[in-house]
Amino acid sequence: MTNLLQSRWWSWGFRSAVMLYFVVLIVLPILGIYGQSFSDGWPQLVHNLSDTLAWQAVLLTIKLAVIATLINVLIGTMAGWVLIRYRFPGRQLLNSMVDLPFALPTAVVGLMIMLLLGPRGAVGQWAEEAGISILFHEPAIVVAMVFVTFPFVIRAVQPLLEEMDASEEEAAYTMGASKAKTFFRVLLPAMLPGILSGAMLAFSRALAEFGAVVLVAGNIPGRTLVASVYIFGQIESDNPAGAAAVSVLLLTLSFLILWLVGYVQARRMGR
Amino acid sequence: MNPHNRQLVKIGLSTAAVWLLLMALIAGCGGQGAVAPAQGEAGENAAPGTAGSGRGSVTLVIGAYSVAKDALQEIMPMFSAEWKAKTGQDVKFQESYEASGTQARAIAGGFEADVAVLSMEGDLDKVERAGLIRDDWRAGPDGGMITRSIVVMGTRQGNPLGIRDIEDLAKPGVKVLYPNPQTSGGAQWDINAIYGAGLKIAEEQTGVKDEAAAKAFLASIHRNVESMDKSGRASMAAFEYGVGDVIVTYENELLARIAQGVKYDIVTPSRTILIENPAAVVDVNADKHGVRDAADAFVAYLHGEQAQRVFAEYGFRPVLADVAAQFADQFPQPRELFDIGYLGGWDALGSKLYADRGIWYQVLAGR
Repeated sequence: MTNLLQSRWWSWGFRSAVMLYFVVLIVLPILGIYGQSFSDGWPQLVHNLSDTLAWQAVLLTIKLAVIATLINVLIGTMAGWVLIRYRFPGRQLLNSMVDLPFALPTAVVGLMIMLLLGPRGAVGQWAEEAGISILFHEPAIVVAMVFVTFPFVIRAVQPLLEEMDASEEEAAYTMGASKAKTFFRVLLPAMLPGILSGAMLAFSRALAEFGAVVLVAGNIPGRTLVASVYIFGQIESDNPAGAAAVSVLLLTLSFLILWLVGYVQARRMGR
Repeated sequence: MNPHNRQLVKIGLSTAAVWLLLMALIAGCGGQGAVAPAQGEAGENAAPGTAGSGRGSVTLVIGAYSVAKDALQEIMPMFSAEWKAKTGQDVKFQESYEASGTQARAIAGGFEADVAVLSMEGDLDKVERAGLIRDDWRAGPDGGMITRSIVVMGTRQGNPLGIRDIEDLAKPGVKVLYPNPQTSGGAQWDINAIYGAGLKIAEEQTGVKDEAAAKAFLASIHRNVESMDKSGRASMAAFEYGVGDVIVTYENELLARIAQGVKYDIVTPSRTILIENPAAVVDVNADKHGVRDAADAFVAYLHGEQAQRVFAEYGFRPVLADVAAQFADQFPQPRELFDIGYLGGWDALGSKLYADRGIWYQVLAGR
C-alpha cells in the first residue's frame, strides 16, 4: 500500500487534485470578486470606495478589530500560560473548551451575547442602570469579536510554551534575574512569534466576522455598521459592485495580514 | 501484466481519483443550489395530470413576504375548499415566506413561484422586469393591491414617554427602532412616512413642499435610532425583546402582536402614509406549471370578501369597501393620510430619496 501511494502516478494525481481544488474553490472566486469590482471601470471603483459610509464601516471594523485583538493578546497569552504551566482540576476540560468558539455557529454566539447583555439580561440591566449602552453599540461588537477569535492566540502560544525548556527559566532565576526581568527577557521573546501570528489571525478573523456581529450591532450606517454587514446590505440593495469594492479592500487587507503571518513564522523557523 | 500496461492502469486510477474528488465537489454544490428550484418542481410534476382535466390535484407555489404569513395560512384552506367545491380539484400549497425584497429577488432569480404576494409595488416590479409577469397586474381589481395599512408608532404599555405624534421621535432620550430600508424594501414605507410627514409639516408652515426641511426632519429622528434591523419582522422582534422605546412600523404588525396578547400602545401619527401591498400571478411560472386557472382564481379570491375579512382580522386595512366599512372602527383615520403619489411615486423616490448619494444617504452620512 505504501509503495502504491509513493508511486509517482499517485503523487501526480494527488497534486493535480489539490491544485484543481485550490483553483476552483479559492482562486476563481477571488478573481471573480476582483473582476466584479472593476466591472464598471476605475472611476466606478473609486466612486464606490470613496463612499463615506463604506469608509466609516471599514474604519469602524478595523478600530474594533484592533481592540478585540489587543484584548485577546492579553487574555489569550495569560490563558495559554495558565493552561500549560499550572496543573489544576478541570484544566483538561478548560483546555478543550478553548476551541468552542470555532465549533459554535456564530449566530449562536450572537444570541448568547444578546441574552447576556440585552435589556432583559442581568448584565444588560445593570449596565442600563449605570447609563452604559452595550447591546447595539460598539462594546457588544467588541465582545462578539473577542469571543469568536478567542482560540487563536492561545493555540498559537501553547506549543511554544510546551517546547520551551523549563531550565531556561530556572537558569534566569539562578543567575539573579527578577521575575519581571525573566518574563520580559526569557519568556516573552519565546512566546512573541506565537502571540504575533495568533494576533494577526485573530485580527483578520475579527475583520470578517458577520454572524455574531449582525445580531448584536445596531447596524446603523456610519455608527455601528461593520464592513461585513455593509457588504451584505449592498448586495441586498442590488449594488454588487459596491459590495465587491469593499470586499476587495477587506480581501487585500487579509492577504497582507496572512503574508505577515507567514513572514513572522518563516523568521521564527529560520532562527 | 507487463510494466507498460501497469503504468496505464495507474494513470487511469489516479486520474479517476482526481475526477471523483471533483465530482464530489460539484455534487456538493449542486445539492445546495437545488433547494429553491425543487420547490417549483413539485408543481411541475403535478401539472400534467391536472391541466384542463378538472380532476386530481393542483399545486400552487406561493412566494410571499413574511408579514402576510399568518393571514395567508388561514386563507389558503378556505380557498382550497371553495376550489374543490367548484372544480373538484384539490389545491395544495407550497409556501415560501421571506422579506419582501429578498422574495422578489428569489422569484426573479429562478424560484418558480406561481403567485407573488409582496409588500410593495417596487418589489413586484422587480419580478415584472425579470420578464416573469406579462399581464398588466395593475389593471386588476383595486389596482392589483390586496391589502392596505398605514405607518404608525408602537410604544410600551401605557406610553411611558408620552409619544403623541411623529415629531416626538426627535426628542432627546427617545430610543427609536426602524428597519433598514436598504435590506428591507418594506422598511422604505417607514422612511417614506417620516420623510412625507416632514414635507407635510413644511407645507403647513411655509406653503412649500420643502425637501431640505423634510430631510432635516428625517435626520433629527434618525439621530435617535437605536438599531436598524434587516427586516420589519426583525425590528419587531428586537422591540419585543425590550430594545428601544418606540418602533416605527406597519399598523397591521402591531395589531397582530396586540391580538396575541402583547401589551403595546399604538400611536397613530396625525400625518402618515397609506401602505398598499400587491399580489399577482407570475405568468411565466403559472403557465409553465399549467396552473393558470387556479393561480388566477387564488389572486381573485384574495380580493374577495372572505379573504378580505381574514386580512382585516389580522390587522390589515381591507381594500374591499364593504369589509372596510365593517371594520371601520378598528382603524382610526389619521388627520392627513397621504399616499406614495404625494412623494412623487416609487420611481421619483428611487431617484431622489434612495438614490446613490441621495437624501437617505446624506442623512446616514450625517451631511
